[in-house]
Amino acid sequence: MDGQGFVSMAALQMSREWLGIQQFPPATQSKLLEILGKYKEEDVSSLTVVVMGKGGVGKSSTVNSVMNEKAAAVSTFQSEGLRPSLVSRSRSGFTLNIIDTPGLIEGGYVNDQAINLIKGFLLNKTIDVLLYVDRLDVYRVDDLDRQVVNAITDAFGKEIWKKSALVLTHAQFSPPDGLNYDLFVSRRSDALLKVIRAGAQLKKHEIQASSIPVILVENSGRCHKNDNDEKILPDGTAWIPSLVNTLTEISFNGNKSIHVDKKLVDGPNPNERGKRLIPLIFAFQYLLVMKPLVRAIKSDVGRESKPAWEVRDSGSANRRS
Amino acid sequence: MGDGAEIMDMSHGEEKKLVVDRISDEQVEKKELVGSVDVRDIEEEVFEEAIGSQEVPKTESFETEDLPLEATPENSKAEHEVVDLEETSSDERGLKDLKVDYSVVGESHGEVNVHDITTKEAEPDFVTPKMNDGKGEAGADISYGQTESSSGAVENSEKTTSNGSSLAAEDVNMENGNIHSFSENGIVSLENKELVPEGVSVSAWSKETEENVHVSAGIGTEQEVGEGKGTTKNCSEKGLVCTDNESGAQKNGETSAVFSSVKSASGDKSLDDSIEVAGAGTSSPLEKSSTEEKGETVGHSSSGFPGVTSREHGTVQNSNGGHDVQQSLQPNKELENQLGSRVDIEPEITESPHVEREFEVVSSVSPTESRSNTAALPPARPAGLGRAAPLLEPAPRVSQQHRVNGNVSHNQPQQAEDSTSAETDEHDETREKLQLIRVKFLRLAHRLGQTPHNVVVAQVLYRLGLAEQLRGRNGSRVGAFSFDRASAMAEQLEAGGQDPLDFSCTIMVLGKSGVGKSATINSIFDEVKICTDAFQMGTKRVQDVEGFVQGIKVRVIDTPGLLPSLSDQHKNVKILKSVRAFIKKNPPDIVLYLDRLDMQSRDSGDMPLLCTITEVFGPSIWFNAIVGLTHAASAPPDGPNGTALSYEMFVTQRSHVIQNVIRQAAGDMRLMNPVSLVENHSACRTNRAGQRVLPNGQVWKPHLLLLSFASKILAEANALLKLQDHTPGRPLAARSKAPPLPFLLSSLLQSRPQAKLPEQQYGDEEDEDDLDESSDSDEESEYDQLPPFKRLTKAEMAKLSKSQKKQYLDEMEYRSKLFMKRQMKEERKRRKMMKKFAAEIKDLPNGYSENVEEERSEPASVPVSMPDLSLPASFDSDNPTHRYRSLDSSNQWLVRPVLETHGWDHDVGYEGVNAERLFVVNESIPISFSGQVTKDKKDANVQLEMASSIKHGEGRSTSLGFDMQNVGKEMGYTVRSETRFNSFRKNKAAAGLSVTLLGDSVSAGLKVEDKLMANKRFRMVMSGGAMTSRGDVAYGGSLEAQLRDKDYPLGRCLSTLGLSVMDWHGDLAIGGNIQSQVPIGRSSNLIARANLNNKGTGQVSIRVNSSEQLQLAMVALVPLFKKLLSYYSPQQMQYGQ
Repeated sequence: MDGQGFVSMAALQMSREWLGIQQFPPATQSKLLEILGKYKEEDVSSLTVVVMGKGGVGKSSTVNSVMNEKAAAVSTFQSEGLRPSLVSRSRSGFTLNIIDTPGLIEGGYVNDQAINLIKGFLLNKTIDVLLYVDRLDVYRVDDLDRQVVNAITDAFGKEIWKKSALVLTHAQFSPPDGLNYDLFVSRRSDALLKVIRAGAQLKKHEIQASSIPVILVENSGRCHKNDNDEKILPDGTAWIPSLVNTLTEISFNGNKSIHVDKKLVDGPNPNERGKRLIPLIFAFQYLLVMKPLVRAIKSDVGRESKPAWEVRDSGSANRRS
Repeated sequence: MGDGAEIMDMSHGEEKKLVVDRISDEQVEKKELVGSVDVRDIEEEVFEEAIGSQEVPKTESFETEDLPLEATPENSKAEHEVVDLEETSSDERGLKDLKVDYSVVGESHGEVNVHDITTKEAEPDFVTPKMNDGKGEAGADISYGQTESSSGAVENSEKTTSNGSSLAAEDVNMENGNIHSFSENGIVSLENKELVPEGVSVSAWSKETEENVHVSAGIGTEQEVGEGKGTTKNCSEKGLVCTDNESGAQKNGETSAVFSSVKSASGDKSLDDSIEVAGAGTSSPLEKSSTEEKGETVGHSSSGFPGVTSREHGTVQNSNGGHDVQQSLQPNKELENQLGSRVDIEPEITESPHVEREFEVVSSVSPTESRSNTAALPPARPAGLGRAAPLLEPAPRVSQQHRVNGNVSHNQPQQAEDSTSAETDEHDETREKLQLIRVKFLRLAHRLGQTPHNVVVAQVLYRLGLAEQLRGRNGSRVGAFSFDRASAMAEQLEAGGQDPLDFSCTIMVLGKSGVGKSATINSIFDEVKICTDAFQMGTKRVQDVEGFVQGIKVRVIDTPGLLPSLSDQHKNVKILKSVRAFIKKNPPDIVLYLDRLDMQSRDSGDMPLLCTITEVFGPSIWFNAIVGLTHAASAPPDGPNGTALSYEMFVTQRSHVIQNVIRQAAGDMRLMNPVSLVENHSACRTNRAGQRVLPNGQVWKPHLLLLSFASKILAEANALLKLQDHTPGRPLAARSKAPPLPFLLSSLLQSRPQAKLPEQQYGDEEDEDDLDESSDSDEESEYDQLPPFKRLTKAEMAKLSKSQKKQYLDEMEYRSKLFMKRQMKEERKRRKMMKKFAAEIKDLPNGYSENVEEERSEPASVPVSMPDLSLPASFDSDNPTHRYRSLDSSNQWLVRPVLETHGWDHDVGYEGVNAERLFVVNESIPISFSGQVTKDKKDANVQLEMASSIKHGEGRSTSLGFDMQNVGKEMGYTVRSETRFNSFRKNKAAAGLSVTLLGDSVSAGLKVEDKLMANKRFRMVMSGGAMTSRGDVAYGGSLEAQLRDKDYPLGRCLSTLGLSVMDWHGDLAIGGNIQSQVPIGRSSNLIARANLNNKGTGQVSIRVNSSEQLQLAMVALVPLFKKLLSYYSPQQMQYGQ
C-alpha cells in the first residue's frame, strides 16, 4: 500500500479494502456490486452488522464466507475467546462492518460475561442489522434458545429484533425421513421465529409489521456450486448475494437502527426508579399506619388496670415523697 | 532326541520351575512381605542345579549336530548371572521399563535368531526365556542382558549359548506375538515384517500381557506346593503353567493361521500338536529375519514355514515338555491318561523313551512326548482324578492330530469327556461355564458378522482369559484359554442355524432431546418401533422396546430427551428419576449415551446435563456406558486451513471431547467410554446386505451391538468368577484384597480399659489400690506428726544462704509429697465410703436415693471448662490451646470438636466432631458410646465405638464392644468381647475374642492377656493372639513391662519396656521400645526413649524438660549467634586478605 493508501486507512480506522470480494466468482461479484450500488444511491457509506447466536453454530464461518477471507478465527472443537471482533472491509467508499461475537452459551446457561463484553464492544456504535445465527439441522428448540433471545432482548432492547434476520447455517442438509427440504426449513424457522417473537415481546401488530427474514447459509467447503461457481443452496439459489441482499433490505426497512449508548449499556439506573413515589409512601405510612397505631397504644395505656402491688408501691412512694 | 539333551532339558526344566517359583515368591513378597531368605535359598538351588547340569554330557538327537560340551557351563553360568540380575532387579521397576525392554529384546532377538538357525538346537537356556515369561517386569530386562551376552557368545562361535538366547528372544517374542495378535486382529497381514515391530510397540497391550505373566508366575508357587505334597497334583498344575504359555501360543497360532491356513493342515508329521502350531505362530514374526536362512533349514518344516520356525518351536516344545514331565513325577499311566484325554497326541508318544525315567533329573523325556503332555493338560484337572481315570481312556485318541482344522469333530466328544472328568471339581465347572460364555460370545459375534479378529471380540476374549487366570490364581489353578475350542464350537452351533441364543441384552438409551434416540432404536430393529418426529418431543415417557436382532433378544429402554439448559435440569431430574424407577426392576446391561456427531458442543454445554445424569444414577452409570454418535454420516467441518477435516480426525476429536466431558461429569478420570457411530438417516449409504455403512466404511449397527453385548458378556463372566468392582477403566483392579490382618490383630491386642460406672469413673484402677493400701498407713500418720511448717516468701528466700535454701527446699518437697499422698489416700477413702454409701442407699426406699442423685448432679451443672485438648507438637511459639477451650456442660452427651493434626499452624484446626456418652443400664451395666466423624476435602471418616462391661461373680468381668470404622474405602465392623479374671491379687488374666467384618471378608481373632504385678514397682503385661481370615493367619504378641517409682504418682521415675512380635505369612516383625523417665534435680525431667525393629529402623529421642532452668532457653540463641558470626566471618577473611 502506498502513502495515500496509508492515509486513507488511518482515516477509515482499520477498515481495509474488501479484497475478498474480488475472489468471488464473477456472477456473485456483479450481484454484490449491484447491491452496494444501492447504498451509494441512498448515500449510505457504511453498514454495521452484528452476528450473534449460540456457540458452535457457525457465526464466524458465516462472517468468513461473506467476507470471503479468513477474517475470523474458526475452530471446530474449541470455543474461541470471549472477545467480540470487528471485521471491517470497504469497497469503493462503502464500508461493511461485521461484528463477530462469541457464543452466548457457556455450560448450559447464558454467559453474562460474554453479553457484557459484547455490550462494551458495541458502545457508541450503531447496529444496522442483527444476524441471529442457528443451525438448520437441529430438530428441537429448547430453553437455551429462549434464554439467548431473552438475553439479547435484555441487552439491546426489543427494537433490535426489528432490524434482525434469522440465519440458518448448515443449510445443505437432507432432512429426516418423510420431510422435504422446504417443509423442514419452514418448520425449523417457524419454531425459531416463534421463540424469537416470544423473547422479543413484540406485540401482534408489530409482528405483522416486521417479519423477520430467514437466510439460509452453508459455509462448508463442500457446498454445492452452480455453473457460475457460486455457492448454492439445495434449492439452487446462490446464498451469498441473497444474504447481502437481505442485509440491505433490513437496513432500509424503515426501522431505526439501534444506537448503543451508555444508557442502553448500563440499563436503567436503579436509584432513579420509583423516586417520585417516596413522598407518597411516606404520607401513606404516616396517615394510615402510624396514626392508628399511636392511637391504639394510647387507648391501651388509658384502659390499663394496675395490679395491686404496683398501686401499693406507687402509693408508698408517693407517701415517702 | 538323545538322552543328554533331555537331561539338560530336564535340569533346566527344574531350574525353570524354580525360577518361576522364585519369581512368584518375589511377587508374593512384594505384596505380602515374605522374607527374602527363601528366595535366596532357591537361587542357590538354582545355581546348584545349573552346576549339576554342566556335568552332564549331552548329545543332540533332535538335530544331527552335537552340542559342544564346553558351552554348557557357560550356559549355566549365564543363567546364574541372570538369576543374580533378577535378584537385584527390584520390584519397583515400572512398566515403562518393561516396554523398553521388550522392544530391545525384539531387536536383539532378530539378530540372534540368524545365528540360531545355523547353530540349531540347545534347549538348555530355555530356562531363561521361561523366566522371562514368568518374570514379567524384571524378566524382560534380564532376558535382554542375556541376549546380549549370548550374542557375544555367538560371535565367539559358542553356539549353544546363542541358541539359548535366541530362544529367550523367541520366547519373549512369543509374548509379543501374542500381544500383537490382540492389537492387530482384523488387520493381520501376510507381511511378517510388520508384525514384529508392531507386536513390540503396542504398549498398552504389553502391559496387560505382563499381568498375564504375573499370573502364571503365581501359579508356579502353588505348583511347587503341590509338588511337595503329591506328585500327581503337581503334574496337573504344571500343566496349567504350560497351558498358560500355550494359551499365548494358541493365540499366536491363530494369528499365523490367518496368513497360512495351509500350514496347520499340512502339519509337521512329528510336531503336530497345538504347541507346534503355537510355535509356528510365534516364530512367524521372526520370519523376516530368518528368511535368508530358510534354505538351510527348509528340510525340517514341511509346513512351508522356514525351518527356523519349526525348529525353534520344536525346542520350545521340548523344554516345555521336558520340565513338565520331569517335575511331575507321575507314573506312566497318568501320562497316558492325560494324553488320551486330550485332543492331539502325536504318534511319537509311543516311541518316547522317557516315561519310566522321569523321576530323576537324569531321566530323559522325549520332547515330543512331553509336548504332548503339555498339550494334554490345558484344563486343570485334579491330580487324583488324572491318575485314576487313565485306564479308562481310550488309547486311540493318540492318533488324532491336526487340531486347528480338523478339530471340530474331535473337540465335541472331548469336551464331553472333560466335563465328565471335571465334575468333581468346582473350579472346572466354572471354567466350563466360562467356556460356554466364550462360545456364546463368539456366536454373537458370528451372528453380527464379526470375525474373532475384530478388535472388540479379541479384547473380550482376552479379558475373559485374563479374568479366568486371575480367578485361577485366587483359587488354585488356571484354565486354558481354549480359544480354538470355543470358536470351533461356536461355528458348529452357528452352522446349525439361527436358533435362539440364551442371551438377551438390555440397552438403555439416554441423550439430549432430538439427537435421535428413538430413531436409533428403530434402526437397531430395522423397523419403526417408535414414532419419531423431527420437531416434537418424540418420546414422552420411558418405554420398553423388545425385539430380535439376528435371533438375539434385545431389549431397549427408550427415554425422553434431556434438556441441555441449566435451568431445565430440574426437568431432567424428573425425567431421570422416572427412568430410574423404571429400570429398578430390570436394570439395563448397558447404557447408550447418544449425542450428535455433527454438533460441536464445545462450550461444555452438556456438562449440566451429564452432571444431572451422574447425580441421579451415580457415577457408576458411566462405567457401563457406550457413547453413540448419531448423524455419523454427516460431513466433517472445515479444518483450520480451510480444507475439510478427515472423517477419522473428526470422529476422533468429537469422541475425545465427549469422553472428556463424561470423565469430568463422572469425576473419574480413568473412564474411557467406547464410542460407536450411529446413522439413522434413510439416505445413508448401504452395503449389499442392506446394512448402513458410514463414510469410513464401518457398518455401524453390528459394531454398536457387539459393544453392548461385549459388556454384557464380561459382566456375566464377572458374575461367574465373582470378580467384583470390575470397571472397564481398570480391568485388573478387581482382585479382592485380603484384610489387613496385622492391623486388626494389633487393634485386638491393644488392652482396653473396661467401661465403668460413672461413680467409679475417676478412680484409677481400684484393684491396684488394694495393693498399695496396707503399706500406706504408717506414712499417713507421719505427716501429722511433723512439726508445723511455714512457707517462706520470696523475699525471705533470698535472704537464706545456699545450704539453707537447699535444706528448706528439701524439706518442702518432702512435706508436699507427704501431703499429696495423704490427700490421695483421703480421696480413696472417700470414694470407698461413697461406694458403701451407695450400696446402702440402694437398699433404702427410692425417695432417698433420688435425693442423693439430685445432690450429686447439682454441682455438675456449674459449667466447668473441659480439659485442654492436647495439640500436636509444633514449632509455633504461640500456644493456641486456649482457642480450643470449651465448657463442660451438664448434658450427658459430651460433644467435642476433633482437631486436625496436620493443619496449618494458625488455622482453625477442626476436622470433625466427637461425641461421647456413658449410659447406665440397670444401674450396674455401664455402656459407653463414642462416635467420631471427621471429614476433609477428600473423604469422610466415621468411627464409632461402643463398649460395655458386666461383672459376674467376684473378680470376673466381661466386656463387650462394638467398633465401626473406615478402613480404606470400606467399613470395618468389629465385635469383640473380653473376659477378665481378677481372682489373684498379683495376676490378672484376660481372654478375648473378636470378629471383624471388613468389606466382604470376615476375620476372627483370639487373644490372651496376662497382667502380672510382682510388687508395687514392677508390673508386666503379656498378651498374645492370632487373627485369621480366609485361611490366612497372623500371630502376634506383645509384652510390656513397667518399673516405676516406689510412690508412683508422686515419684516421677518410670521405665517402660515394650516388645511386640508379629508374624504374618512367615514375615516376622519384631519391634521393641524402651522409655525411661528420670527426674534430675527438683524440677527437671529427663525422658529417654528408643525403639528399634527387626527391619533395622529405630528411633532414639532424649528429652529434657525443666520448669526451672529458664536459661536453657538461651540455647535458642546459639543458632542466631552462629548466623550472625557467619555474616561477620567472611568479611574478616576479606580484611585479613
